[in-house]
Amino acid sequence: MKLQTPELKLQAGLTIGYGKPIASTAEDIVLGGGTHFLIARNGRGKTTLLRTLSKTLKQVGGTFEARGKTQYLPEDLRFDPEITVAGIFRALLPAARVKDSIDLAARLELDVRKPYGKLSTGNRRKTHLIVAEHSVDPESGNILLLDEPFSGLDAYAREIFEDIWRSSSDRVLRLVSCHPDYDSMGMPSAIVIQGSGIRHTTGSEQTWSELKQQLN
Amino acid sequence: MRLFRLTAATLFRRKTWVVCAFVVGVLPFIFTQISSGTENAALWKPALAQATWAMALLCSIFWGFFTAAKQGESNAKSGLGEYFLTTGVSAGRQLFEMWAAIFSFLVPLPLISAAICVLAASPSQAAERTMWLATNFQYAVLFLVVMAPLVALACAVASRLGSITGFLTSSGLAIYGLYGVGYLKLLGKTGDSALAKWLWTSSPHYHFADPTERLRYKLGAIAWDKFPLLLAYFGGILLVYAALSRLLFRARATA
Repeated sequence: MKLQTPELKLQAGLTIGYGKPIASTAEDIVLGGGTHFLIARNGRGKTTLLRTLSKTLKQVGGTFEARGKTQYLPEDLRFDPEITVAGIFRALLPAARVKDSIDLAARLELDVRKPYGKLSTGNRRKTHLIVAEHSVDPESGNILLLDEPFSGLDAYAREIFEDIWRSSSDRVLRLVSCHPDYDSMGMPSAIVIQGSGIRHTTGSEQTWSELKQQLN
Repeated sequence: MRLFRLTAATLFRRKTWVVCAFVVGVLPFIFTQISSGTENAALWKPALAQATWAMALLCSIFWGFFTAAKQGESNAKSGLGEYFLTTGVSAGRQLFEMWAAIFSFLVPLPLISAAICVLAASPSQAAERTMWLATNFQYAVLFLVVMAPLVALACAVASRLGSITGFLTSSGLAIYGLYGVGYLKLLGKTGDSALAKWLWTSSPHYHFADPTERLRYKLGAIAWDKFPLLLAYFGGILLVYAALSRLLFRARATA
């Protein structure tokens, strides 16, 4: 079966919100495989946009198209405190990928024998991200909508995940909402929610430092 | 069946099912030591039978419905339900998978009770043993048909209104259907109230699924020509509650 390239197409006029509009796109936005960052100040609609694109929240107006198998990882996702990380992997991941997930957990210094409730915030995030990354269908295009995945994650773990993202950019489209914590962080593709507008900005040398000025 | 596996693994890990297995499988033997069976040996077996089935009922209500309610609420509030929705697992499918996982832990309870009755409390006469086997088989089947939709209902109500409401809804219906409906019948007869009569007619008559008296007094199994009617009656309730559960179930708590 031919691998389908993932794509997200937000038509001009797509309006997000909970009944009342929060923000909308003025132009068409087309995102292909690779990592795209979603940035905005607090309460401006990042989670709302992710929920809309994952189809768990109906848009106020307009349309969008999503091509690829979608996963939305909410920021406040929680598993039962009693179940171990290994138990989560065995339950949610295909049998063939459980070993890889446990190996990645070892690289990330995540103890898979520990109950989820005893993990730190950062280790819980690692668990969620490992589940999401190993649930990706290798035979198809995939769309991962990640809400604040870096929150609580240390730099070492972040680098490992960013490496994984780079290596799978042909078949996985990732839209990652975040509040970057260093100015030189490269953001070659970013969806910016500023005021009531949603726009797409690109640039191979684009960094958080420039985008931050625009948000302010 | 990812949510089924996750729910089953979570329940297994929690280990409270061990308490239920002990309560249904071991406690009845202890209870008979403090019953009138110690004074009259002829009462020991009926006491054991009654105790084990009563424990199965209590565990199903207190552990089964509470667990279902807790899972329903947690799935909606923890973001898991939303995650599964985005991966293509519909709300109905999520309810089914959680229900299947919880019910798979409940199914052994009436089977343990039936096994105890057959192996440790069977009458000594051969003709009575056949009747005993049939009664326990019928009890186990009816038990499961009654409990199945109530587990789904607890899960569904809890996903929308919280675990306490979910638990109280199903346990309230179970207790009402077993014991409360009889009082309604009295009210209808004594007060000549049309409302009471209507309520009585439309109530779930779970007492028909409770052959405890048949076991205690060895009255024999439900007539086999009437058993399919009973199954159809409770099957109808199952369908109604299943539909209601599906309508009520919410995979994501709204903001």
